[in-house]
Amino acid sequence: MRKHGLKTAVVLCMDVGLTMSNSAPGEESSFELAKKVIQKFVQRQVFSETKIELALVLFGTDSTDNPLSQDGQYQNIRVHRHLRIPDCELLIEIENQVQPESKEGDWLDALVVCMDLLHTETKGKKYDCLNIALLTDLNTQTNEESLEVIINNLTQSGITMQFFLPFPVEEDKEGQGDSERRDPGHPGTGKGLSREQKKNMELVKEMMLSLDVEDGLDEIHTFRNAIEELCMFKRVERRPVAWPCQLTIGSSLSIRIVGYKAVTDEKPKKMWITVDAQSHQKDDVKRETVYCLDDDNETEVQKDDIIQGFRYGSDIVPFSKVDQEQMKYKHDGKCFAVLGFTKQSAVIHRHQFMGSQILKIFAARDDEHAGVALSALIRALNELQMVAIVRYAYNRTSNPQVGAAFPCIKQDSECLMYVQLPFMEDLRHFTFPSLENKKFTPSDAQLSAVDSLIDSMMLVEEDENGEQRDLFKPHRIPNPAFQRHFQCLHHRAVSPGTPLPPIEPWLKAALDRPEVITERCQDPLDVLKRKFPLTEVEKKKKLKTSAQIFEESEAKKVKEDEAEEYNLANIAEGSVTSVRIRGRQLTHRIEQLLSNKNTQYYMKSITCIQAFREQSVKLANAEHYNSYLQSLKGSIPNRGLEVFWELLVQGMICLFT
Amino acid sequence: KASLGDFFTSMTTESTRSPSSIGDYKITGRDSLVFLVDASKEMFIKGEDGEPSNFDMTMQVVRTVYTSKIISSDKDLVALVFYGTEESKNPRNSFKHVYVYHDLSEPGAKRVQEVDALRGEKGAKLAAETIGSGETSLGDALWCCANLYSDIKLRLSHKRLMIFTCRDEPHGGDSVKDRQARTKASDLKETGVVIDLMHLMKPGGFDISLFFCDIVSPPEDESELGLQLQPSDKLEDLLKRVRAKELKKRALARLNLCLGEGINVAVGIYATAVAARKPGSIKLYRETNEPVRSKTRTFHTQTGSLLLPSEIKKAQYYGGKEIVMERDEVDAIKKFDDPGLFLIGFKPMEKLKLHHHIRPAVFLYPEEDEVKGSSCLFSALLKKCSERNVFALCRFISRRNYPPRFVALLPQNEELDEGKVQITPPGFNVIYLPFADDFRTLDPPQFPSASQTQVDKMKEIVSKLRFKYRSEGFENPVIQQHFRNLEALALDMMAPEEIEDLIMPKVDQIDQRLGPLVQEFKDLVYPAYYNPESKPAAKRKTGGAEKKPKVELTEDELKAHVQNNTLVKLTVPVLKDACKQFGVRTTGTKKQELIDALIARLRS
Repeated sequence: MRKHGLKTAVVLCMDVGLTMSNSAPGEESSFELAKKVIQKFVQRQVFSETKIELALVLFGTDSTDNPLSQDGQYQNIRVHRHLRIPDCELLIEIENQVQPESKEGDWLDALVVCMDLLHTETKGKKYDCLNIALLTDLNTQTNEESLEVIINNLTQSGITMQFFLPFPVEEDKEGQGDSERRDPGHPGTGKGLSREQKKNMELVKEMMLSLDVEDGLDEIHTFRNAIEELCMFKRVERRPVAWPCQLTIGSSLSIRIVGYKAVTDEKPKKMWITVDAQSHQKDDVKRETVYCLDDDNETEVQKDDIIQGFRYGSDIVPFSKVDQEQMKYKHDGKCFAVLGFTKQSAVIHRHQFMGSQILKIFAARDDEHAGVALSALIRALNELQMVAIVRYAYNRTSNPQVGAAFPCIKQDSECLMYVQLPFMEDLRHFTFPSLENKKFTPSDAQLSAVDSLIDSMMLVEEDENGEQRDLFKPHRIPNPAFQRHFQCLHHRAVSPGTPLPPIEPWLKAALDRPEVITERCQDPLDVLKRKFPLTEVEKKKKLKTSAQIFEESEAKKVKEDEAEEYNLANIAEGSVTSVRIRGRQLTHRIEQLLSNKNTQYYMKSITCIQAFREQSVKLANAEHYNSYLQSLKGSIPNRGLEVFWELLVQGMICLFT
Repeated sequence: KASLGDFFTSMTTESTRSPSSIGDYKITGRDSLVFLVDASKEMFIKGEDGEPSNFDMTMQVVRTVYTSKIISSDKDLVALVFYGTEESKNPRNSFKHVYVYHDLSEPGAKRVQEVDALRGEKGAKLAAETIGSGETSLGDALWCCANLYSDIKLRLSHKRLMIFTCRDEPHGGDSVKDRQARTKASDLKETGVVIDLMHLMKPGGFDISLFFCDIVSPPEDESELGLQLQPSDKLEDLLKRVRAKELKKRALARLNLCLGEGINVAVGIYATAVAARKPGSIKLYRETNEPVRSKTRTFHTQTGSLLLPSEIKKAQYYGGKEIVMERDEVDAIKKFDDPGLFLIGFKPMEKLKLHHHIRPAVFLYPEEDEVKGSSCLFSALLKKCSERNVFALCRFISRRNYPPRFVALLPQNEELDEGKVQITPPGFNVIYLPFADDFRTLDPPQFPSASQTQVDKMKEIVSKLRFKYRSEGFENPVIQQHFRNLEALALDMMAPEEIEDLIMPKVDQIDQRLGPLVQEFKDLVYPAYYNPESKPAAKRKTGGAEKKPKVELTEDELKAHVQNNTLVKLTVPVLKDACKQFGVRTTGTKKQELIDALIARLRS
């Protein structure tokens, strides 16, 4: 990866000639693999919007189109695209126009065309990196006399080379058998190389070793490895922005520092815009927001007639922007001020880290004194196992935070790591029932089942050399959301009108449990399954019928009647003599009960009504009972007691039939 | 009547909930809390040494809960009811000696003020005048509260009632009243109301077994030691107890933790730390101050006709091309799998790096109601992870159409304080882990390390400024100020109450504690001429006052730039210097203005 702000020019030079299409049955041909490498590479450049300039040269083509072709020289080489920033057009062209052709092209000739292209098209401009990537199976006749001149030329103009081949490079000649053992995945190796391929391989090696690059042979890749590496879109890179400030301790001790975001929840750079479905133009679509009163007519209100307000609990307080600006909390702007120091163990409640970032704080660049002063602080904190609690404000308009600055000492650098801590208002102290509960306490057998599961699923293990190996590192995985996003964009750009492709297998695999673990944990999981019965609870979401409620309540009532006599009993069985008086007390109680719109209370009301009825029957005087029931029935709709009435009717039927 | 246009208009009410509150009330209903406070004479007895009375303390707690509800859950309903009063005030006035001071509704500024009025010496006087102390019938009081609940037309999801009293025998042994109270309490509990007792100190101790043990709701599980709590005699204790109960835990999501094929543990996800924000503003109609609704519609620029969802697509611009997708495709791209947690494996705790932090953590607790047996397996997993000091690494999809993240499940054991109040609940903390994209490549400046003498001096400074950090120790000054302002406006106060900015360094105290240490440290690390306060430009390592050499342009060079149209390439300072040099007067400072002025001068 090159540094920012530097200009890079790359020529992709691909062999599309006759032999590239050869493949063993069931295997992808060299052509297909090479095309994939190019596609992935260009895709990556387009969607990461780098400013790398790219050209595409094909050789082995049926036609010839290049500036050097003359008198039968430099034949079957076509400059497909001149040096330019890659775009979707190029992706489409590669998809549709780069096809296997039937001629043979000299890869050294093609290389010369590429060098010439780089030379003429970068002339007068400054580039920091010129690169040619050559993709071929090396299965062509070559004019090797020019090799030396080419090497000299490459060295002089500072052009670097990369080769992408169907087979790996042998580092020494005895390694022949070795390659067969280790590489069933590379077609061509197993069958042995042709005479041309062997000869050309020597030329490639000679070239790469004579160029002034360390480990030149490392720049010879196989198609497959390249695809794997290129599969992952380059991670979204952002230029770190320096935040110069002063760390202060009290009024008279300050250290010049500079802060950088080191870890942050990176969001996609671009938002979706809304376009018209027909024209695909965003200008054809307009969104408009109108305001209206919450009345029946939805009376529209003009923007000018709208003021700002805030909710204060149940109140709405009009609060103009001007007033708000004037009255709001103000502070002195950017700061990194120490409030005090505290033990690290008191703060490392990982779950109380707030915000979405980690800042790294260094001493100001080129200020050695600040460097020493900050180093003293970092080391002091480290030795005491303490952290600084600081007030941090990014600038005058941003809200100040409280946070912790941890010492961080690495081999080549020292810094403070800042993370935001919660405010009192942010914390929710929930209490949860203890799990130390007889019902849930796992047995020893259950615990040991979990133990063996953990054993089988440890992702960090020591190999035979005592070195730790981590089988799964999330921080090395590119964000799958971005990968998938760009995969779909690429697909839509080159094949519009077709459905989106499935998630790429490599991505699925990267997100999954490592295969070794899956195998290892199978038995412990089976044991676990047997030891811990898990049953999904069926959701009863169906509404109960009133009859069901009645039955349930009846059952409950019996219990209640035993356990407690509610006041009704006193009234119903007391020494009151006249039905009229009882009736009045009962109806009063019924009304009291009905003020609770709740089945329980309904049931009690019904019991009262039943008691009323029984008393009336007993004394052969139904007048009061009947008139009360009439008036109650009349008032049902007004009081919203339909449910109660239904229950009453049902209940009477249930009890008297 | 709704027109076709309205049908396709996405309507949003402006009065959306503040983002700091969690959970969807539309689905689950509102939370409610009733403070049922004893107003008997005993409550007003002041402690020795002028300690505030139990009543005073209770009002302080009620006020704190009111204001915190306003800030963090302003849709919750709260009521304040007194019992054992002389006066009576309740909806149908059917209950004597019960005084509904605030019925169930959202707390507002006025209510805060009204509770304030009951605090302190003056408050006791006001209480004596307005509510007084009289007979006690807890049964009537509970019944009255039941009516408060049933009068609410909104759907209530969580109903809690807290009784504040210092009398363990409120009816003085009247068994009829005791029985009535028990009956009412059980009626309430049957309707889903949770009754808590916040018992306060009284001489001779508070004996729950005399009466209240039959009133309060049984603890959430058998092992909870709720009833053995000591009565509160300190405000902080009481506040802590109320706080612990007052907030309903609301799961962000309920999903499965999948350990392997067919082994699904049901878990709830809870947000225990959410950045509280200033709530958004509401748009009001100027004339009436009533909130307005906003309607957003999408229409075709040329034809002016409203666009149906099917007439809209989404696009992104890359590599010179508009790449267009259907709206459902945009969602589909983000979908990897159904929501859930999938166990990848385990790692030793030291593999979790301090700086692998991208967003606040959430909390995991089993949901026995969804999958029976979850609690047992969860408990075993928690126990073993904790014992072996490992964390579980999981792939986590939190909602539908959300891309996956990896998370670390950190075991957390239950902790209780001396008063048996839970400080940390048992469960897993879920730490979000960064992907490769979330790291930025830095080029750290390199410096020599400090010497041991220098480090030791700093250690002295650090030790002098040691304090005990508490996570609840810092209020957010921005939010506090905002609400004080609103309070002042809502209550027509002259000026908002002053806030104390707790995250401001106490510079004077620090200076005083450090004394000569600062100078001693500076002498060790800074040379005499060095001033870290000065502007960076003036203190290059060279130390001198030399400025960047000026890039002076000759007239010819400038003319060439004008001719080749390359003035744009020059920087603003250079252009400004050029203007000065050639006596061009410019009013503007924008680059284009400078260029235009130069061109005008040199062409003439």
